[in-house]
Amino acid sequence: MIDFLLDFSQGTGIYAFMNSPWGWPIAESIHFLGLCLLIGTVGLFDLRMMGFAKEISLSELHRLIPIGVAGYLLNVITGTMFLSTAPDQYLYNPAVQSKSFFMLIAGINMLFFYATTAADVQSGASSSRVVLRAKIMAGISLVCWCAVIVCGRLITYYRPPYHWCLWC
Amino acid sequence: MRESGIAFFSSLTLHSLSMAFVVGINFVVALRVVGFAPRLEIAALCRFYVIHWYAAALIFISGSALLLAYPAKALTNPVFYIKLCAIIIGLLISKRIQSTFSNKPDVSIDSTCIKLAYLSIVLWIVTLTAGRFLAYTHSILLASRFY
Repeated sequence: MIDFLLDFSQGTGIYAFMNSPWGWPIAESIHFLGLCLLIGTVGLFDLRMMGFAKEISLSELHRLIPIGVAGYLLNVITGTMFLSTAPDQYLYNPAVQSKSFFMLIAGINMLFFYATTAADVQSGASSSRVVLRAKIMAGISLVCWCAVIVCGRLITYYRPPYHWCLWC
Repeated sequence: MRESGIAFFSSLTLHSLSMAFVVGINFVVALRVVGFAPRLEIAALCRFYVIHWYAAALIFISGSALLLAYPAKALTNPVFYIKLCAIIIGLLISKRIQSTFSNKPDVSIDSTCIKLAYLSIVLWIVTLTAGRFLAYTHSILLASRFY
């Protein structure tokens, strides 16, 4: 896996860019910009579903979600750049594993939301069951994305991961 | 601060989290002002400024704690001053946009507001970038090396 990622990184020029003087901080800046776009759109949508700023139309606020998706794509691209350039620092790092776990939960939660609740929410359905379900999903989403940021910050603290990781 | 892993890490995490909310809310409001999602009421969107100002306060508290931990590292680095100026001007623009639109659903968007919104986007990108570059551009870590 490590060899495959390194080959990919070197073959695509990512490795050379990331090891240039400003490659890493530029990628980190873009990564955090993506997270801010995600929090600014998905996070605000979650807060609205949880009952904050009720005068805002949910369907109108939902129009901002494509900006959050763009932010997420920035994160996927830059995240791949980090991972493929220094795979040994990331693959075995429990902070990365925790971050991936919270991203997975957020993703499943989002799929579940769009499959079961999104249409009701956007049409303005106000039955207490729909409202409660939407609030719980919004809470899970917000907690997960905040946890992703926290785990992202933790990554640096557990480098190199071999010395302390209990399950690596 | 410097020697307590939990205190330093907590400040750093709180700084990142609150920065994500401040920058995220500013981006969304600025994008709305420049014409994105035109049916979304800016006056209603301004309700999120409550969270924005709490998060901004946390940025300054956690930022001060981080500065106290490594004062020489930040104060001798010009990038720190770029970040500080960008944050202060960015927050002044937030205040201006908030006072223009908050509780005033009938206010039209003039060209000054649009220019300020574009400037806000640029300033918050500068803030994020400078924040990340701080870790890579310092020349002095501890002042004690001079004693």
